Amino acid sequence: MKQETAAKVAVESRSTPWFNLPLGLRRSARENGLEILALLGGAAIWEVLGWGLGLQWLPPFSKVMEALLQFVRSGTILANLGSSLQGLVFGFGLSLVFGLILGALMGRYRAVEKALDVYVHALFVCPSIVFAPIFFAIFGLSDAARIAIIVVYSTFVIVINTTTAIRTVDPSLVEMARSFGCREHQIFARILLPASLPLVFAGIRLGMGRAVKGMINGEMLIAFVGLGALAQRYGAQFDATKVFAIAMVVLIIGLFTNWLIQILDQRFTSWVN
Amino acid sequence: MIKVRGLSKEFGTLHNGSSGVLALSNIDFEVRDNEFLTVIGPSGCGKTTLLRIIAGLIPYDQGEVAIDGRPVTGPGPERAVVFQNFALMPWADILTNVTFGLEIRGTPKAECRATAKELIKLVGLEGFEQRLPKELSGGMQQRVGLARALAVNPQILLMDEPFGSLDEQTRRLLQEELLNLWERERKTVVFITHSMDEAVMLGDRVMLMTPRPGKVKEMIDIPLNRPRSREVEKSGAFLEVKEYLWQNLRAMQVSES
Repeated sequence: MKQETAAKVAVESRSTPWFNLPLGLRRSARENGLEILALLGGAAIWEVLGWGLGLQWLPPFSKVMEALLQFVRSGTILANLGSSLQGLVFGFGLSLVFGLILGALMGRYRAVEKALDVYVHALFVCPSIVFAPIFFAIFGLSDAARIAIIVVYSTFVIVINTTTAIRTVDPSLVEMARSFGCREHQIFARILLPASLPLVFAGIRLGMGRAVKGMINGEMLIAFVGLGALAQRYGAQFDATKVFAIAMVVLIIGLFTNWLIQILDQRFTSWVN
Repeated sequence: MIKVRGLSKEFGTLHNGSSGVLALSNIDFEVRDNEFLTVIGPSGCGKTTLLRIIAGLIPYDQGEVAIDGRPVTGPGPERAVVFQNFALMPWADILTNVTFGLEIRGTPKAECRATAKELIKLVGLEGFEQRLPKELSGGMQQRVGLARALAVNPQILLMDEPFGSLDEQTRRLLQEELLNLWERERKTVVFITHSMDEAVMLGDRVMLMTPRPGKVKEMIDIPLNRPRSREVEKSGAFLEVKEYLWQNLRAMQVSES
């Protein structure tokens, strides 16, 4: 009797395509389901609280989406999104260049690390927005000021991660490379770079998150363009619905950039798992 | 020929003037061409330090280390190292790992691949070219390490406890394969080990070292004919040398503790 049931279950499971998915996909399908459920649940709770409480600063979810739709239709979002993303691309690009080079040097050479560590940590801990007036003084109301803020926001976390990534590369790999006559640049290119990629990507991901923050904060404080400027304007008018709508756009940018970096990460560090 | 004269090495000499640990003190020995020298001694005798100095990976303080009369100032194409922890690049497949040394030395790509494939076959890993190191067992990984070292066709093979982290069966198998390979290629080998069986089974001579500071206690000839098989383990000469090593190592160990 028991055997019969077992056989039946086996047949059933074979005929259901769900069970034939490889383990990794199966898990991610379930996780995706959970994620969507969590998002829907959050939106529902938001909607109920928005209507139920009637607070001025908590408009219902549907109203926020309505405002967002209007923004998109009128072209307001698109115009401001473009200039925001432009700043993000330049700012984050510069952060990557500075962060990776500085981090690589600090990770490889003790002297460089000793000399720069205190500055990097000070700038990392310091709320980057305090530099806004200084950049305003230097660059005025220009794109350069916005970009500079993004750079101070995101560079140092990349530096710190890259330093650790390079420092923790298995020393026997470096020794192996030297034993075959590798020069310093070959050690960097063939050993340190690939070996440190997983941790470096973790830093890039954090850096991207901070760059998005820097983008909005910079625009709110010293620029009259971009999503930050929009948020600033509606914030001053106490228009919570529109502020939330813009926050949604920022959220989507954050999630999208994160997803992009994750894809690159998986592409280059698939050997880890 | 590897020639070491009056070699001393100190670690951790601090800038505040306090002296560090003397790892090697006044080491004298030679390794003849095509000789298989095994080096044994308790931990702390500096045997790995000695190997790394010969490999040109770390500098030395005093004395002379020369290969065919040329002083060692760094790594060189006539030497290749096999590492205890294999030191394979985890992101690169087996073929890429084996071609590493060749590529660094500027060998054309096609030739790299051909040589590497040949050596992968030689160490019994044919069909594993596209695998990652983590997909291989420890024994297989060290075969890759050996293939990588042999790929650059070195005159001298420096092996740092290469089978030390493998289980007993795998270790014995690899010892036999190494013996076969050596019969064919007759490289000069310096082989660090902490296993007495291994030292006697493989070597033409055993260099016995004492710890703190690392010194050469004795050079012992191993009177066993080549080619050798597992059978020699039962021979009187094998047991005699092993017993002699044990008496010495035991005395060192006892005086340590």
